[in-house]
Parts: sequence; C-alpha cells; structure tokens
Amino acid sequence: MTPEQITEADLHALVDGELAPDRRRAVEDHLLQHPEEAALVEGWRRQNAALRAAFDHVAHETPPTTLRRPKAPATPGPIETGAIHWGRPSASRATRRVDEARRARRKKALLSGLLTLVVGALAAAAIFLALSGGPKSRPPTASAADPQGYAGRAEVAYQTFAQDARAVEIDAGRKGELSAWLLRRVGFGLVPDLSPLGLRFLGGRVTPGLREPAGFLVYERDGGDRLALYFERADGGATPGPGPRRGFLGAIEWRAAGMAFVLIGPVSAELLQAAGERAAAEVIAPQATPAEPGR
Amino acid sequence: MTNRDDVFHFEETAAPRLRRYARGLCAGYPAAEADDLVQAALERLGPSLIGPSPRGSGDGAPQPAQARVAAYRALTDLARQKLRGPAPPRGAPSHAPIVDALAELPFDERVALLLVALEGLSYEDAANVCGATRETTVARLIRARAALSGLDLRPANGARRAGGHLRVVK
Repeated sequence: MTPEQITEADLHALVDGELAPDRRRAVEDHLLQHPEEAALVEGWRRQNAALRAAFDHVAHETPPTTLRRPKAPATPGPIETGAIHWGRPSASRATRRVDEARRARRKKALLSGLLTLVVGALAAAAIFLALSGGPKSRPPTASAADPQGYAGRAEVAYQTFAQDARAVEIDAGRKGELSAWLLRRVGFGLVPDLSPLGLRFLGGRVTPGLREPAGFLVYERDGGDRLALYFERADGGATPGPGPRRGFLGAIEWRAAGMAFVLIGPVSAELLQAAGERAAAEVIAPQATPAEPGR
Repeated sequence: MTNRDDVFHFEETAAPRLRRYARGLCAGYPAAEADDLVQAALERLGPSLIGPSPRGSGDGAPQPAQARVAAYRALTDLARQKLRGPAPPRGAPSHAPIVDALAELPFDERVALLLVALEGLSYEDAANVCGATRETTVARLIRARAALSGLDLRPANGARRAGGHLRVVK
C-alpha cells in the first residue's frame, strides 16, 4: 500500500500541516494500517491542544499599557523645567495613542462580529439551498461547518438507502472487495464487526459525502431494524454543532483516524451507544486487521 | 504616514502573539519575566520596523512575513541570553502539567515546539527564527514531543472508556 518509507518526520509533518496533499494521503493511509503510529500522532495533537489551552489566553488579554513600542526618539519633550504641566502635550499624546489603540481594537472587534454574522447568514442560505434539493452544485460555503454536518449527510444516506431493497451495493459475502473499494474511494476500508450486539452486517456502498465520497455500511437487527455506519474523511475543522431533531432516527458521531463517523438508525440510545463504542474501538484497535485490497 | 499605520497595525497583532510565545518560553518563571522580554524585543525591533529614518517614506519597512520572523527571532535571542542561568527555585507546580514539562525542556527544543505547535509557524519560518537548518529544527521538535509524550493529556473525567469521544448527536 505504501511504497515509499514513511518516517517519523512524516508523521510530525502531518500534524504540523507541512505535507503536500499527495504525501498527506499516503501518510494517512499508512496510519490506518498502523494504529500504534496513529496513536502517536493523536498524542502530539493532544500536546498541541494542551499548549494552546495553557497559553492561548495570553494572546487574548489586553497587553499591559506599559508594553508599547518606545517612541521614535526624534521629538524632544516640549517643556521640561521640572514644573508640573497639567496640559503637557506629550502626556496627552500618550493618552491619545492608547485611545487610538483601543478604538482600533474596538473597530476590529465590531468588524469581525459583522463578518461572522454575514458568514453565518451565507452558510445558512447555502445549507437551505443544498437541502431544498436544488440541482445546482453545492456552493463551497456549505462545508462541514454547516450545522447539518456529517450527521445530516448520514441521515440523507440512511433515508435513501437503508430501507431500500437494494440497500447495499456489495453485500457481506464480498467483504474483501467492499473493503478494498471503500479504501480506494473513501480512504478507509475497515468494517467493524457488530455481531456480538446482534447486528448482522449486510454490506455497504460508496455514497456522496459532504466534500468527498463517503462510506456507508448497513447492519441489521433481528427485528429488521437497520443501523448504518457512515464515514467520510474529516476536514479537521470545528466539530459541527448539534444536529437538528430528526424524527425517530438516533445518531452518534465521532472522529478517528482522520475520518468522521456517524452511526445512525432507529434503535434505542443504549444500543446505539454500545454499537458506537464497539465500532469506534474496532476502528482504531491494533488487532483489527485491515482488509488487504484484492483479498 | 501609511508606514506608521502599518507599524502600528503590526504592533497590535504581533504583541499579543509575542506575549503568548514569551509566556511559553518563560514556563517556570514569573509572568512578568515574559512581559519584560516582549518589551525588550519590541524595543530592539523598533528601528528595523520603522526603517532608517523614523519619519521615512517607508522603503525600509520589511514585509509582514519577514517582520514576523524578525520579531520572533529578536524575542528568542533575548530569551536565550536571559534564561541562560538555572531556573529559579520552583514554587508550587503550576496547574497545567504541560507547563511544568515545558519548563524542563532544553531551551532550543522548547523554542522549536512552541514556534510550530503554539504559534503555528511553518518549519521554514521556525528554522529562520532559530537560526538553524530546517532539519535541526525538526529534530528538536521531535525530541521535544518525545519528551512530553509521557504526559497523560487525555481529558480527565469519563473519557477513559473506549467510547469517551463519541458524541450523541440526537
């Protein structure tokens, strides 16, 4: 799968965003096959987050007023006789500078607030357009940042396929082929085994995702209820906000190995949680043997 | 006049970041040390930012990216001199284990880690700040991360379960 050697430096470069897209893909694929290295990467990301948590607040404090660039030494003070000059021009200039700084900061905050509102409105409009089924292609603003996010996509896929007579493109009998296909198109080919929870694997397919092709695996319970696991390469952006109420379907979402996973189905919250935990564990577990393409 | 405005703008955005970086560099020291460093760095930067003549027409003003590297570099150089001696006797450990671990790192490794992981500089820029090659900088970064890898940085409560990172959407 990975012809060139992936070094530890590559793993760091992945965390630090220093890889070209092709190389990044190669390293991410490598991590899927090597969970212990994926755990290293995860640990470094946690370090980064801990560093930011420890120090980021400093950048948001107002710097102490003493912390200003020293004035250009050109202009000598106006009157320095030792007397007290209440209206000393230099003093008022200093205050003016501080005021100026505050005003600039306030203006910036106001602008960014407005910008946020506008972006939010645009995103909402884009989502509305996307959901109302317009034939035009989705505008780029409707990304994973939209409130529907991966869960919304997962639900659309569920409604489309899960109850269909042809719910899956490749059934469980050809699991190896399915895995290879998903790995190639979606970037992730593991099929979690949920049979201990009474969930029989039916098969899967490739389905349109938010940005890239997504994987869609279907499981069935004895009663006939179907559960689907949807996954797509996560873009690393902010986790989308809580999804809207969606009828009787429960959904649970997590991220691992650079992918966003959504498990969705009309089952109890407990079963959903249990199945989610099991699937999440399998997806990253070292003993899970990824299907080799062509097996 | 526009030059002056540029400088002013740079100062507005750079000073908070430099303070953040300085606070990281001075892990284990009082916060005032960090602010002193930033103040000194801004003083040292003054002429290079404004250009040869304080009221000049702006031809001496460096590009923002260069100014950024120059600012971090000035701060780093000053910190290297200032923090050369042994760290002051530590009082109570800070509340964040990562801060304590950071304080234990060799200076150059701390610099590399903070520049890349906290300040978001590219390897190239970080190397320029350190005055080292890119390879050396990356090697320091790797050593720093390895040294910190013993920390347990997982979220504290309830997250030990396998599904702790699961989020119930509905």
